[in-house]
Amino acid sequence: MIQDPKERTLREEELYQALHDVQDAEFDIDVVDMGLIYGVHFDGKKQNVIVDMTFTSMSCPALDFMSDDVIERLMTEKDVKDVSINVVWDPPWNQNMLSEEGVNVLNDWGVIKWE
Amino acid sequence: MFNLKKESFVEDRLSDGKYIEDLSMMSPKYLDGIKKILTVSADTELMSAPAYYLAAKDAPTTNAFISAMGIIQDELGHAHIAYRLMEDLGVDKEEFIYDRDPKSFRYPYAFDVPLLTWTELAVANAFYDRAGFVLLDDVFDNTTFGPWKRALVKVGKEEGFHLRHGETWMKKLSKDVDGRKSLQKALDWMFPLTVEWFGLPDSLKTQNIQLEYGFKGQSNDQLRQTWMSTAVPLAESLGLKVPAHYCENEKKYVLEFPFPSKFDASEKKWLFEEGEIPWIEPNADGYSVMKRWRNRGEMNDEFVTILQKGHKQVCEMLERE
Repeated sequence: MIQDPKERTLREEELYQALHDVQDAEFDIDVVDMGLIYGVHFDGKKQNVIVDMTFTSMSCPALDFMSDDVIERLMTEKDVKDVSINVVWDPPWNQNMLSEEGVNVLNDWGVIKWE
Repeated sequence: MFNLKKESFVEDRLSDGKYIEDLSMMSPKYLDGIKKILTVSADTELMSAPAYYLAAKDAPTTNAFISAMGIIQDELGHAHIAYRLMEDLGVDKEEFIYDRDPKSFRYPYAFDVPLLTWTELAVANAFYDRAGFVLLDDVFDNTTFGPWKRALVKVGKEEGFHLRHGETWMKKLSKDVDGRKSLQKALDWMFPLTVEWFGLPDSLKTQNIQLEYGFKGQSNDQLRQTWMSTAVPLAESLGLKVPAHYCENEKKYVLEFPFPSKFDASEKKWLFEEGEIPWIEPNADGYSVMKRWRNRGEMNDEFVTILQKGHKQVCEMLERE
């Protein structure tokens, strides 16, 4: 399930945007533009964040360290004390999940051919 | 037999800034040179697979094991790319990979020393893959062989992932005392071995067709410096002691150990106290770096046997049928 951006609170949107700082394992593209972040849920009272995250394949070799990078980035936020990753496989990732920037980067590298 | 071009044809084409695209544009000298550098690249990628696999078995979690297997799969793909290019240059790929004597494989001595722990794999990804990345990045920027340059786009991206894997795990392991100790132990023998990876110093290279023909751009000593310019700061940022530092006066990284040195492979220990040893001609004790490299190390025979075994078994099975 992909979170509707309109459902995000202002703080959740800020945290979502902060994940532009986390890079994909191979390409010069961040995990948001890559379309890997399906949702960000922030509990202000408990100061915890749950990130709905997917990967381009179930056997993604970078699954662990990209999750760690997401956690590490959000833990730098003053009002965040705990981050957990909820790995989501439905809907499966496909190239329609890429942002416009993501499409441009991967097109340049010849990784995808956009019709 | 294919008619190769004269030297002047290659020289004219290169001075026009054009790439060499296939055999029809090569002189015997260019063909010989490009085959040599592709052999080293292909063999290095191939031999990294069994070397990394040995340590991958020590992975702390299933996901970590999958990461390591992803890297190994990439390395085999990179080896395939280089061997495939050699096939277009008239090399019998199957015979070259599966029927060659283990000692004639051309790859850094470092892979002959067994990587046995997850820590050693992390350092190998951060150091050895960085060496590969530095070498191939230089080839990508400077090579005059067009097909290789195009193929290296994919290779570079994947090597970047391997590097990051090594750095991430080194950072993780450095967070506690035991982890830092094991990293330091690995660094102590792997750092000098990677410094050695870049080969003979420039002062001992009598002719350098690789530079003349633009198979690569930087000399061995320049590549060594490029490698240290990121490897040293990484290790220092994790609180590890590195036997090299940047010298402001000399404007370059300076080693803090006799280089090259004798290495006790069975103990994974450098014998720095015995002083500098020769690169080429053996000293009174019969020791030189070149001799160690040519004799290969402990894992050479075993790794090549692993890689060739399956092919031999299939061939024997087909012969029986």
